[in-house]
Formats: sequence, structure tokens, C-alpha cells
Amino acid sequence: MIELHEHHEPEAAHHAPPGKPRGLRRLTAAGWLRVSWVAPLAFGLATGLVYGARAAMGLHPYWEFPVLIVAWTVIVPLAFLIAIGGFDYWFYWISGRPTRPEDHSGHGARSWKDYFRINTDHKVIGVQYVVTTFAFFVIAGLLAVFMRAELARPGMQFVDNNQFNGLFSEHATLMIFLFVIPAFAGLGNFVIPLMIGAPDMAFPRLNALSYWLLPVAGLMFLSAYLVPDGGAFAAGWTNYVPLAVEQPDGNLFFQMGVQWAGASSIMTALNFLVTIITMRAPGMTFWRMPLLVWANFATSTLVVVATPFVAGSQFFIMFDRVLHTNFFDFNQGGYAVGYQHIFWFYSHPAVYIMMLPGFGIISEVLAVFARKPIFGYRLMALSLMAILVLGFSVWAHHMFVAGMGPWLRIPMMATTLLIAVPTGIKVFSWLATLWEGRIHFKTPMLWAVGFISMFVIGGLSGIFLGAVPIDQHASDTYYIVAHIHYVLFGGSVFTIFAGVYHWFPKMTGRMYNERLGKLHFWTTFVAFNVTFFPMHWVGLRGMPRRVSDYDPVFGDWNMVMSIASFALGASTLIFLYNMIASWRSGPIAPANPWRALTLEWQVSSPPPIFNFDEIPQVVGSPYEYGVRGARHAVFNGSRAEVHEPEKVGH
Amino acid sequence: MLSIGVLAGLVTAAVAYFIPWLPDAAAEEAGTIDNVYWLATIICIVIFGIVVGVTVYSVFKFRARPDDEEDGSPIHGHTGLEIFWTAIPTALVTAISVYSGVVLVQNEQADPGRRLVEVTAEQFAWSFHYPDEEITTGELVLPVGQQVELKMTAKDVIHAFWVPEWRLKQDTVPGIFTRLLITPTKLGTFPVICTELCGLGHAVMRSRARVLDQAGFDQWVKEQKEAREGGGGGGQGKELFASAGCASCHALADASATGAVGPSLDESLQGKDAAFVKAAILDPDAEIAEGYQSGLMPKNYGDTLSEAQIDGLVEYLLQATGGG
Repeated sequence: MIELHEHHEPEAAHHAPPGKPRGLRRLTAAGWLRVSWVAPLAFGLATGLVYGARAAMGLHPYWEFPVLIVAWTVIVPLAFLIAIGGFDYWFYWISGRPTRPEDHSGHGARSWKDYFRINTDHKVIGVQYVVTTFAFFVIAGLLAVFMRAELARPGMQFVDNNQFNGLFSEHATLMIFLFVIPAFAGLGNFVIPLMIGAPDMAFPRLNALSYWLLPVAGLMFLSAYLVPDGGAFAAGWTNYVPLAVEQPDGNLFFQMGVQWAGASSIMTALNFLVTIITMRAPGMTFWRMPLLVWANFATSTLVVVATPFVAGSQFFIMFDRVLHTNFFDFNQGGYAVGYQHIFWFYSHPAVYIMMLPGFGIISEVLAVFARKPIFGYRLMALSLMAILVLGFSVWAHHMFVAGMGPWLRIPMMATTLLIAVPTGIKVFSWLATLWEGRIHFKTPMLWAVGFISMFVIGGLSGIFLGAVPIDQHASDTYYIVAHIHYVLFGGSVFTIFAGVYHWFPKMTGRMYNERLGKLHFWTTFVAFNVTFFPMHWVGLRGMPRRVSDYDPVFGDWNMVMSIASFALGASTLIFLYNMIASWRSGPIAPANPWRALTLEWQVSSPPPIFNFDEIPQVVGSPYEYGVRGARHAVFNGSRAEVHEPEKVGH
Repeated sequence: MLSIGVLAGLVTAAVAYFIPWLPDAAAEEAGTIDNVYWLATIICIVIFGIVVGVTVYSVFKFRARPDDEEDGSPIHGHTGLEIFWTAIPTALVTAISVYSGVVLVQNEQADPGRRLVEVTAEQFAWSFHYPDEEITTGELVLPVGQQVELKMTAKDVIHAFWVPEWRLKQDTVPGIFTRLLITPTKLGTFPVICTELCGLGHAVMRSRARVLDQAGFDQWVKEQKEAREGGGGGGQGKELFASAGCASCHALADASATGAVGPSLDESLQGKDAAFVKAAILDPDAEIAEGYQSGLMPKNYGDTLSEAQIDGLVEYLLQATGGG
């Protein structure tokens, strides 16, 4: 909370920035130069430590590769984070040296170089997050394109079985841990403090640290490809045991990468929770929070409670592999299905971690572009909380045919189907929000409306899968592949695109190209459906998932899906070009191009370095479109104009 | 709006009805599972029709002109409507839940006169043991109309047993036993597919299930027993080549097999002798042909085939590839 105090009085803390270090001192100052010698040193240290310890204990061989991988993946990232400056302030504080007064040199970005160093400004961190996650989106998308190339025809053409299993494992891992989850964290990072009228996140240094864990995790997942024997982890992103234990060493990179991605996720979620609970502007009661803030509140709670379980599940596998414990070895009394319970206790809530922030984004976009209050605001917020609670009681629906206790199937089916109710409330309320609106089809709105129809298909196929008898047939087939892509691509990714287009003017201070944005939407929308809809059919007809080769009767449809998937990949190029070109030279954006009411649009684009030159006073709902005289917030100068709205919420 | 919704519903219904979404049901359990499937389909088509109807109608009806600066109607909610769309979906999903539960319980009623087959999965093969008849095979053969209990386990990693025409699937887990109850109602040959990622050969881990009439089944049992106790020979070798699943991975011109996962036997068995072929079947990883992966070919042929059957298979292979 120290930061909070400082930020409220930026002038008081204004000290002359310390002079730039010169000569050899530059090697010890936080930054990439320090990384360039500390990281290799840590690599050597880790190697030496393993070698020394094993030699001392007489364990042969001294160069035990799995042990080395664990040592490297723990020590090198830590050294990197220390060297780049993630811990500097805390080290001063711990060692009792005078902490340097906050000079806010770590705030704001004056040139592109500022995005490549430790920066404590939530807006800079938000942009760092979004750009990084889209880099991994492109990599993971390319992996999918390779996969579809192999699947275009039956038989084996381009890769062998091991490489193919690596492709889909890496694709899913990167998309989930390095794209969807952190992309929402990035958008939230930029938008949430602005929306609630706060100068920054509650813990800016923690925020910076949680961002820098992300590229670490991503590179760790990718460096599995460097393992000479076997290459990338190839047991799927679910990494089921015993397969995961008998996999080549590349699998360790999955277990360790999940730790870093998970830690990043947990830190950000804590930061969101504290920020939302304690740093709302005066008058911003919970019932006046925009739904995106509600959504991030629910998501962060899910992350904090659930993520330690996936971390634990992967530690167990790592222990089984490296320390020869027997958590899952059935010959030693281990229990393979037990892994799945722990794994899905995180990974089902993770589905909502990947969806609730998207729900929030859609609510913001729909209200603004339909020029209407969100229909049933309170029920919308409460349904988020209902999903949060129910989300913890449905995990075993991933295991209906896994061999768990049979009695668990019917209660888990009931809760699973019940979770369709709050989700349905959200969909129907969005439709009612469109009703009698004045709909402006800007790009974010196209994505939002596209999202509703695609997500409904994903949600309805989820009802089929939630019913145990149908799941007995459809589980582990291409029907599942279709379902998750309608939920995660037609759902989550569409909302991420909606959010990026919606807040692009705020983040960059420039407008994107509307025609290219619409072209991007339509090409993606068509290619997405042609790629994934037929998967329902081939799955029900008998094509299992995660296969490199299949029954030739599905050959024609697979060819169609592959060609469409290449088009889907190509449509992303339109997006990338639009973003890069518009950021460099798009028209200058006004403060509030969408005439929106929420607080982030009441400041300049991009916002001032501490967001609000004066603290806003929140006086009403954020969605009072069409209500005469209603205000969401006032700034001191304009307090005289306040008219309390006739009706808040409903 | 109503017409758009009805149109969307009709189109979806036509897609659902005219496209053969599911393979023909070939077991009693499949029939009841399909009923759940169609119940869910009808409910989902109605909901999808409503959503599409309202969306498309709104998109055209409430679209603003570019210069329109007006706001929409300030409607904040409608308690009655909100109760309605909470209550109706709750009722619908409860209906699906209850009906699914009933079907599940009904499908899992064990018939006292059922036949037991012990299923063992391993990388990357299935073996089926018939304890009453004391035979073990690589394909599942069942008499029509009699309920069978599959008592399943795995030797190494998790696999899953799936026959699409029976609609039933169950993981096989090392260390525990799982089970399935199936009552085949149709004669024919159906694929047995592994649906749980089990390693390099997951895609080719297939076998087949053959459903015969009672006479045909008895005959098959008799043949299996005879093969166990001797017999074999070149004639049976060709049949074994198909039933043991060799053809799914290996090409062999004589058997019209075109599998490409493993080496083509027409080429790789040129000039080899019986000892080599036998060793290659029993311990496939001992020597791997150039350009192919080890660990893919099952190592259980010593269990699922009798000594005589293996000799018969070897004899056939040598004869078919012109070696020996």
C-alpha cells in the first residue's frame, strides 16, 4: 500500500532521477547488460551444483540430464529476473539499506525501449502483456498450421508420430498458458485501474515481476524442442500419467514451464483482487463497477484458488520422474486417475479463467456500440459469481469415461448442466441489450456479435458433452476438438480481438483501420467455421482426437478443414498488419472515440502517466446510455452539473 | 424475428436430420444413448433458433446510421423476463440430466447371464481373453444378442476402448479394472479405436470387433481352440495376418495390405529366413528397419497367438514375399 500513497502525491516524491551509471557500473545496474553476464553465470552455477552434488554423493552419471533440466529451469529464470531488476527494490529493503525513494522513472514509456525493461506502470505492462501474448499466438498458430498440413490427407506426410504429438501439445500449451490467459491479464492490466479510477495497480513492482515471468515460461515451453532425444513434450497439454512419466526429457519443460506461467497468473490475480477491493475511486461501489471489473474479480478468485492445483499436479510428475517418488506409479501403489482429479480441479476452472474476462469485454463493447444500458446488470454480475462457485463443482465431467468412481458421474453431470443456466442468462441479457439499441457496427461490435453466435454453438455442444451417455460416445473424439475451439476460439479469442480493437485507441493513442478490421473479422469468421464445424461430424462418425493418421473415409473433410485453417492463419496477417501500421501511423485518436461512459474514456488517449489528474467522483452506473442527465462520474470542476439518475441498475 | 428464428431452427433441424451424424447403432445401449442425443438436439435447435433469430433481427432492425448520435432506449431490465430465462433453461437442463441419469442406470444393468471378456490394452495393441473358453485373441468376437461385460485394464499407460457403432467408450487404466456392459444387436465388423493418447502409435492402435450369430461364434471358438492346440499352417496365416491387425501398419501385396506405419513386408522380408521373421514378430524392437521408429509395434504377439499360429504366420509371410 506504500505505492498507493506515493501515487496519490506524485509531486512529493519527485526527486531528480539518479544519473545514468557509467563504465563498469553499467554492468551491475538493472537491465539487459546485467542479464548478459548473470544468466550464463547462473547456468554454469546450476550445472556445477548438480555435478558437484552428484559427484559428492557418488551418484552416476554426474551429468544426469533430467536433474540438470530442473536445476536450469529453476535457477536461470530466477537469475534472469534478478538481473533485469525485478527484485532490486526488495533487496535494498531486505538488506536494510536505504530504499531509493520512488522517482517514478519506472513509470510510463517514452520510447519503445521502455517496453523492454522492468516498468511498473500498469499501462506499459498491459501493452507488454498484449504484445508478448500475440507473439506466442502467432507461434502457436503456426504449430496448428503444421498440424493441419499433416492431417490434410490420411497417412503420414511431413512429420513423424513423435513430432506430431509434440505439435498439438505445444500448440495447446502455448495457446492456453501464453495466449488466452495472459492476454486477458494484459487487457485487464491496462483497463481495470483506469475503469475503477485508480492511479495504478495496488502492487506495481509485483505487477512488473508477474509480466516478466511470462516470456520465461513461454521460452521454457519452446526450449523443450532443444532436447536432443525426443524433442518437445508430447503427452498433450493435459500431460496424463503414466504416459507423462515415461516420456523423454522434453516433458520436464512442460512441468517447469507451468510453474512459471502459473506463478505469473497467481501474482496478477492477487494484484487484481487487492486493486479492485481497495483502490476503487470514491463512489465506485461494487454495484457501480463495470462488468469487466466484476469479471476480473471473479476470474482472479478462480485463479488464486485453482492454479496451485495445476502447479502441484506437475510437481508430482516431476518428483516421480526426477526423485523417483511414486505418486502415480501403479506398480508402487500410485493412482493414475488421481492425477486427473488434481489436474482438472484447476483445468476446469481454467476454462472459466479463459472465458469470464471475455464475458466482461463483451458487456463493455455491447453497451457502448448498442448505445444502451446492459440489460439486467445485477443479474449479469451475480451470474458471474454463480459460474465462479459452480465452476469448482464440475471438474470430473472431463473424466466421465476415465475410470473414476462411477457414482460421481451423475452429480457432476447435474452441476455441469446447471452451469448452463448462468451462462444462458448472460447470453439472453446480451441479446436484450441489443434490442431497441442504436447499433454501430464498428469492428469491436462485429467481434462481439460474432462471439455471441459462436459461443452459443460451443455452449450447446457442451450440453451434449455434459450428458454422460452422449459423452460416452463423443468424449476424446474430434467432437471435443470442435467444442473446445468453439469455446476458446469462437469464444475467448473473439473477445480478445473485440477488446484489442475496442481499447486500441486508448492504448496507443491512434485509431486502427476500420476496413481492415472488418475484413479481418469476416475472413476469420468464415474460415473459423469451415475449419471447426465439420469436426463435430467427423468426431461423432468415429475420428478420435490427437491422431496423426486416420481412417481414409474422413480424408475429404480433413482436406477441407486444413485448407480453411490455412485461410484462418492468413486472416491473422491482416490483423497484425493493421495493428502495426496503425500504431505507427494511424490517425490520432480522440479521448473518447466511442462516446463511452466508463472512466478510462474520460481521460486522454493514451492516458496521463498517473491516469487521473484529479480523482473522479463516481455517482452512478457505468451504462446509463439514453438516460437523460445521468452521469457515471464527475471530476471536481464539474460537480455542479451532477444530476442523480432517476434509476440505477434496475 | 419469429420468422428468422424459425428459419434458423428449420435449417439447423434439416442439418441435424439429413446429415448422418451418428454411425448406425449396433448395440442395445446405443439406441438409448441416441435418444438422449436427440432430446438434447431438439432442445438445442430451439435455443439456437431463438438466439440467431434475435441476433439477426436486431442487427438489421436496430442498426444505426453512421451519423446517428442518438442513444437507444434506456431499458435496464425486466424482472419477469429474467426469471423466465433463468427458470426455463433450468427446467430444460434438469430434464436432460434426469433422462441421462435414467439411461445411464438402465444401460448399466448387468444381466446375470452375461459373458465375461477380459480386455488388456498395451502400447499399441488390444488383447481379449475369454476365461470360459480359455482363449486369447487380438480381435473381439461376440455372439449377437448376448450381453458382454468387458473387464478392462492396461499394462503400461492409459488407453481407451471405443466402438463408435456401440456408442460406448471406457478408458483402460493400469493398476485398476474398469468395465463396460454391451449388448450387440447387429452382425458385422466394427472398428475398435483407442481414443486416449497413449504414445507414438496411438493413431494406429486399432483392432476390430466382430459380431457373429451363435452358430458362427461357436464355430469361431472351436477354430481358436484348434489353433491353440496345433493346426495353423499357411492357409490360416493369411487370415491371421488380417485378424491380428498386421495390415493396419504393414504393406503386403499378397494380402492387399497397404499400411505405411511400419516397413513394407514385401521389401523388408526379402531374403530373410524363418528365424528372423519369428524374432521380428516376438521382439519387434530388437532390429528396426532403416527410417522407422522403435516402440511402435506391439510386443504381445507371444501372448495373443499360439506357437502354432506364429509358425503359421511366419510360413505365410515367407511364402507371400517369396523368401524362405
